[in-house]
Amino acid sequence: MHILQRNKLAILIGLIPALLIYLVFSIIPIVISLYYSFMEWNGFGAMKFVGFQNFIEIARDPIFWKAVKNNIYVVVASVFGQIPIALALALLLNRKIKGGKLFRTIGFMPVVISTVVISLTWNMLYNSEIGFINRFLESIGLGSLTQNWLGDPKWAMISVCITIIWQFVGLYFIIFLAALQNVPSEVLEAAEIDGASGWKRTLFITLPMIWDSILIAVILCISGSLRTFDLIYVMTNGGPAHSTEVMAIYMYEKTFSSMRYGYGSAVSLYIFVFSLLLIWVSRLLLQRKSR
Amino acid sequence: MLKKILSVSVILTVLFLAACGGNGEETSSGSNDGALELTFWNSWSEDSPENDVMLERVEVFQKENPDIKLKMESIPPDQYKTKLKTQAAGKQLPDLIQTWPGAELRPLAEGGVLMPIDDIIGGWKDTLIPAETLEDYAIDGKQYAIPGNQVFTSIIYYDKDMVAKAGFEEFPTTYEDFKTLVENLNKEGINPIALGNKAKWPLQSVYISTIADRLTGSDFLEKVFAGEAKFTDSEFVQALGVIAELGEQEAFNSDANSIDDNQAADYFLQGKSAMFLNGTWALSGLISNSPEDKNLGVAKFPAIDGGKGEATKVSGTTGWGIALNSDLSDEKREAAVKFFEFLYSEETYQALMKVGTLVPATIEVPEETSELFEEVVELTSGGIAPVYDAVLPADITDIINNGLQAISIGQSTPEQVAQDMQNAVK
Amino acid sequence: MESQLTMKKNTKTDVQSDKKVNIKRFLKKPIIYIALIVFSLLNVYPIVWMVINSFKSEKEFSLDPFFLPDTWRWENYVEAWETANLGTYFLNSIFVAFTSVIITVLFGALASYFLARFRFKMNKFVYVLFVFGMIIPIHATLVPMFILMNKLGLLNTGWTLLFPYVAFNLPLTIFILTSFMKAFPKDIEESAIMDGCGIFRIFWSIILPMSRPAIATVTILNFIHCWNEFSFALVLINDESLKTIPLGLANFAGQYNTNYTGQMAGLTMVIIPTILLYVLLEKHIVKGMTAGAVKG
Repeated sequence: MHILQRNKLAILIGLIPALLIYLVFSIIPIVISLYYSFMEWNGFGAMKFVGFQNFIEIARDPIFWKAVKNNIYVVVASVFGQIPIALALALLLNRKIKGGKLFRTIGFMPVVISTVVISLTWNMLYNSEIGFINRFLESIGLGSLTQNWLGDPKWAMISVCITIIWQFVGLYFIIFLAALQNVPSEVLEAAEIDGASGWKRTLFITLPMIWDSILIAVILCISGSLRTFDLIYVMTNGGPAHSTEVMAIYMYEKTFSSMRYGYGSAVSLYIFVFSLLLIWVSRLLLQRKSR
Repeated sequence: MLKKILSVSVILTVLFLAACGGNGEETSSGSNDGALELTFWNSWSEDSPENDVMLERVEVFQKENPDIKLKMESIPPDQYKTKLKTQAAGKQLPDLIQTWPGAELRPLAEGGVLMPIDDIIGGWKDTLIPAETLEDYAIDGKQYAIPGNQVFTSIIYYDKDMVAKAGFEEFPTTYEDFKTLVENLNKEGINPIALGNKAKWPLQSVYISTIADRLTGSDFLEKVFAGEAKFTDSEFVQALGVIAELGEQEAFNSDANSIDDNQAADYFLQGKSAMFLNGTWALSGLISNSPEDKNLGVAKFPAIDGGKGEATKVSGTTGWGIALNSDLSDEKREAAVKFFEFLYSEETYQALMKVGTLVPATIEVPEETSELFEEVVELTSGGIAPVYDAVLPADITDIINNGLQAISIGQSTPEQVAQDMQNAVK
Repeated sequence: MESQLTMKKNTKTDVQSDKKVNIKRFLKKPIIYIALIVFSLLNVYPIVWMVINSFKSEKEFSLDPFFLPDTWRWENYVEAWETANLGTYFLNSIFVAFTSVIITVLFGALASYFLARFRFKMNKFVYVLFVFGMIIPIHATLVPMFILMNKLGLLNTGWTLLFPYVAFNLPLTIFILTSFMKAFPKDIEESAIMDGCGIFRIFWSIILPMSRPAIATVTILNFIHCWNEFSFALVLINDESLKTIPLGLANFAGQYNTNYTGQMAGLTMVIIPTILLYVLLEKHIVKGMTAGAVKG
């Protein structure tokens, strides 16, 4: 590839379109937002420079740390829930089986459904008065296990996490499906001849070959989990009593309800830093040395 | 090859559509065929009888005034506030801006983006609309808008038969009796009160606004901000304590904090709950969706022993009002005033009442309204108590909303919430 | 091949474990199918619920959100179409979504190609810069974006939404495509260069086709993001004639009440293009199954 390496012009041409739009319409707004984070501003009047005050105030707010804790729940639930399930599904459905196309389409559906519908239908499962889960438990004699799944601070976050897992499995599912296409079937056949089949083949041949995609998925998962907003906002609005509040909801409320744009921008900087940290850690743990 | 043809044709189609789509360019505001254009934002996007009335009135105005063109944009209420704040931050507000009183209006007024209308308000003051009501839209002595409708936030809708079965032919008039009613209903296995507090404001706007008033009197909030009273005073803490008491009594449905007030209304209509507290906005929905045989009654929150407030009051506030952009030219201002004179007229208010909306004007109730509506008008004619989120600054509203939710599930105490609120008073 | 394996097994096992293996093999397929069916039911139930309730009257929905409607009110769909102004908004959404997706995928694939297959000094930096964009929560950039686009005079036009949509979808696109393209064997370009192919020819005729599964994937994901995007559309567009579907759907929620049944009808209509697109593109994602294996 030495010939290609020297072709700086081509590289420039290739990168410029994407870079240009991205720099102007993504990086610049982000930088402006960063600028706001050092201000106190309610959107209407003048901005007041307050230095690091916003950051300190956030760090002192117990509700913020509660939100951080909740976000960690989402990250853990997502990484250990969505990725394995999506992987299993992709491996399972990446072959000719009856109804394969139908199952794959259905597997992807939750990603497409509006959060309003998801919230209403899962609420019908979780509802403590008339919800399916509690009614089912009662009907099989396990009435003592019924909980106020969404109304009890102890259970609310877990219930919400399960819904989040369900919602996005389909996303990683298609990413893994696509990645599996990169695994040449000759390699797999050769492995089978050597006596490896089923589990062994999956574990020692297939997975390593798509390991980079798995790492990608994990990073996507982490960044998505730390930014999660839509579903929780519609399902529980961060309640009850902040038990399902996550950083993005905290930020939204402070920006548009309490009208503190600077404070909200500062929160998003925290989200950014946390994401970087977690992503760095996961890369350390999961990245294999390039051969 | 085929793929190439396909991709090229797709790109061409898209470019073609783009050329068509790009024609929707905004025409500059200014003279338009000799007509004066006023940009106007409102939240009348929902398909409701009230919105229909308003939109129709706008249309009639347009017909009668062809030299004034109203460029209207209707945005759903939830998103309206977000959009308004974002555009305000970018200094891009329309000529006519719909707004809400108190806490919503204050930042706009203080930020200097609105034009006062003190010079024209004489046309309505104390003739069509009482001066006191107009004050909702005054900040620091300057008037900024005229209210279009009025809402009372605290009406008890109840099933007369269920309440009678629990021993009360007439709705309780004291808090002690109310608690007995709740107890009796629980004994019968009926959920006493349907509550949908996912959005957090119902407990504050519907319940506390009136309950606190019963105990503290209507000038409490004013006093707090003048430094003459505190949220930690015993009367207010007692008010918060009512919510705690009701929670302990199991007056509410267990999923109260995970459903919204629409779903709570459904519980009431389905016969699961005997009572439903909400505002006057819920009336028409309840009437139209109610089963035939349901006997609907309305009441206000009972008197509380030892309270400083008058038990005839119900918490309420004026609804939306239209304000003027401070950048308006004289020409545009004249046109806007014409619009106001048309819109804020007895005719409009009458039309609103006919579809079940309460109005801030002192006019007669038209005949075509339902009996229940008339009862509500009666019920709410005993004085207005302030609605907390219309008066409090946004961050204190946040604290009380979250605090009440926490109290209702035993996660916080009235004393703690009161203290948090007081700490935020500057 | 098969016989070799079975021979190995039979030499060291007795009849009992043979039976066990057979039972396991016998049960494996049905168990998998049962699991898939349960899983599918769970996935499909919200859509079914949504469609069923889209035919009810508001009163019926209030009184009973669980069961089938008494009468199937097709009028709900007509009303929903009007309330959400779907006639205009559908066209706008289609234009915005398709254009954004095409631009994003084109620019993204191009950038990914160079980031994945070329070594140059700024490579890592540019890549990381793009990945940064995936980490920022969107609400933080609403006001800055508005102010920026206002200054650029780009608000409220047919093109307005393209800019933020492309900019915010590029990171994900580049992230996925780069990873995919990196996995190709190193010597692909070598043989093409021997044949005298230029860089861009290699990109268009070799790399792109090979990346089809990933391209199909990012196309779908980008489309969904653009189709359902709400915040920027709310804030950057004022003209009724330019608004997109999500804004129309918001019309069902009033200040105090929500028209659930109308909303369900609206949502049902709006979900169809996405499902259609997925079904169309799905075969490209799993191309390995129908076509031959990728030549290494």
